[in-house]
Amino acid sequence: MTNSRIVHHPILGRLQERGKIHFTFDDNEYIGYEGETIAAAMLANGERVLRSHEESGNLRGFYCNIGHCMECRVTVGNQKTVRACLSLIEEGMIVNSGKKLPTPFKKGETL
Amino acid sequence: MIDVFIVGAGPAGLSAANVCAKNGLKVKVVDEFMKAGGRLLGQLHEEPDGTWWNGIEEAKKLNDEAQQLKVEVDCGVSVYNIKKQNKSWKVYTTKGKFQTKALLLATGAAETAIPIPGWTLPGVMSIGAAQVMTNVHRVKVGDRGVVVGINILSAAITRELQLAGIEVSSMYLPGKNIATGDHGNPILTMKSMLKVASLAPSKLIRIGSKLMKSESLHPLALKFYPKSGIKVWGMPVHLRKAVIEIVGEKKVEGVRVAKVDLNGEPIVSTEEFIPVDFVCIAGGLYPLVELAAITGCPFQYVSELGGHVPVHSEKMKTPLEGLYVAGNITGIESAKVAMKQGTVAGYSVVQDLSNKKEAFQVQLKQAIQTVEETRNQAVIQFHPDIRTGRKKVYMSFKDKGLMKKRDFYGT
Amino acid sequence: MSDRKIIICRCEEVTLDQLVDTAESYRCSSRELKLRTRAGMGQCAGRTCRALVDEIVQKYTNEPTPHDIPLGYQAPIRPITFSLMGEKDHD
Ligand SMILES: Cc1cc2nc3c(=O)[nH]c(=O)nc-3n(C[C@H](O)[C@H](O)[C@H](O)COP(=O)(O)OP(=O)(O)OC[C@H]3O[C@@H](n4cnc5c(N)ncnc54)[C@H](O)[C@@H]3O)c2cc1C
Repeated sequence: MTNSRIVHHPILGRLQERGKIHFTFDDNEYIGYEGETIAAAMLANGERVLRSHEESGNLRGFYCNIGHCMECRVTVGNQKTVRACLSLIEEGMIVNSGKKLPTPFKKGETL
Repeated sequence: MIDVFIVGAGPAGLSAANVCAKNGLKVKVVDEFMKAGGRLLGQLHEEPDGTWWNGIEEAKKLNDEAQQLKVEVDCGVSVYNIKKQNKSWKVYTTKGKFQTKALLLATGAAETAIPIPGWTLPGVMSIGAAQVMTNVHRVKVGDRGVVVGINILSAAITRELQLAGIEVSSMYLPGKNIATGDHGNPILTMKSMLKVASLAPSKLIRIGSKLMKSESLHPLALKFYPKSGIKVWGMPVHLRKAVIEIVGEKKVEGVRVAKVDLNGEPIVSTEEFIPVDFVCIAGGLYPLVELAAITGCPFQYVSELGGHVPVHSEKMKTPLEGLYVAGNITGIESAKVAMKQGTVAGYSVVQDLSNKKEAFQVQLKQAIQTVEETRNQAVIQFHPDIRTGRKKVYMSFKDKGLMKKRDFYGT
Repeated sequence: MSDRKIIICRCEEVTLDQLVDTAESYRCSSRELKLRTRAGMGQCAGRTCRALVDEIVQKYTNEPTPHDIPLGYQAPIRPITFSLMGEKDHD
């Protein structure tokens, strides 16, 4: 995707200058800007996939973007089930995508 | 102990907070979003007088006032449980538990989905998600996309995407199936768009107004609906074409679109493939009532209000003592109405916690009247019969109120 | 892809045909349909699919939507950490 941040806007004005933030997602390094959520920063980096369905392994990205649908849940540090759409990136943050679980661990094991 | 705890820093919650704080109450507001303002953030509509309704600015005004009044507004905090304790409420948040005399739920709305094959692919999002990503986070949701579901909200947000330089190739109906319901029906969709004259594409209104006068002419209007759609803000709106599948390997690569008959049934071998990198699904809004549900508050199903709503009065009180509601949790309406409802809830709380109950009678009455006036002037109306819906709930409150007393006195 | 294979509940990946077949054979309430298929029982507590499940039930039972919420909600309604969950609630 080209020019992924909306710098100029005819009514909302110019996007203000913000500091850079470095974080990793599944061991890859990314740069986002202060005040961006994990979901926004990943999208701006051209990455839409945030997790795999625990059972089927089907890929998912953010869906509702306001904390209702839980589709964008990721692991931040040791914290599981973090909504990428509501969580701001921080310097050095380690984010991991939700993964498909080995078959014996099925439903109810995703907390 | 807090005097009033408010869940949701949207227009309803903040307006209520400011009224309470002005009248000397100790107020705490929490919201799980990272910024105060709720779904005001991201709203951007042109008003009939040519000015812009900029939700980000409106939210800032409300929040600045709250800050001046020393209202504690805590963002990034979720409420996950509520329990009644004697004469107070205990609120469980991801940042501690709180005891409060009055509890106001102003949790707003959530989006209804329209399921179409392939809608779990990354790159498919709700229309509201695109609004927030574009106007709040200022990140493009893609280079070129389509919108599935034609209604007031999707028309407004599609325009917002265009303003931000994002190409929306077309708006389509969803392919019809049991679960897509009325959203896939061309006639019903056209009717509901014509009701929102202020936002509906002017060309549609022009075609429509002639043909819409009589019910029997509705199919005719659609028969002559241009094959290329009607252009709105330079983008075709299709009432005779539907997205029947979203296609992609690891993310959205395109959509399969088919022509549909007057009932929304796809016509064989009319399919085309349209390459896009994002899809927005617009199924409308419903009140987000989960916290009210776990308090044990009685509910009523009112389709005009968008679904199940906690029973409440015109004063925004529920039948449970010390529990108040305001904004879209009580029914889907515009942000301006939500603000005024917040003011009503604020005065109700102030009155109930005051020793001089009569003192706030006038303000409360006036606030209720302002809600009515704002409703009548609303540019964005989500449901034409909103007033009917409101009446149903107030009636139900009267019944429930009596029921509660009877239970209480053990008859 | 056939329409009937559409996923309705994204969390548990419950499809339209699973819901329709269950609703047809049991003529059941949303609650029962949920328990039988797991639709609405995933991480989002049905926030995304509840209206759809209700709609399917209504089609098959022909009952008007009840005033009580068909698919109830249970605390915690948001993800909480194990430490919060483990906290004893002395009240
Ligand atoms: C996605 C979306 C887009 C919309 N777009 C428009 C539009 O363009 N134009 C328009 O007129 N109307 C729009 N609306 C309607 C909107 O609901 C109203 O305009 C108005 O914002 C309602 O105000 P409110 O205060 O009732 O709720 P909201 O503004 O929704 O505020 C509620 C707040 O409560 C918070 N919350 C909810 N549950 C919890 C919890 N458990 N813990 C902590 N915080 C919680 C939310 O994070 C949110 O910030 C939209 C609604 C949605 C859902």
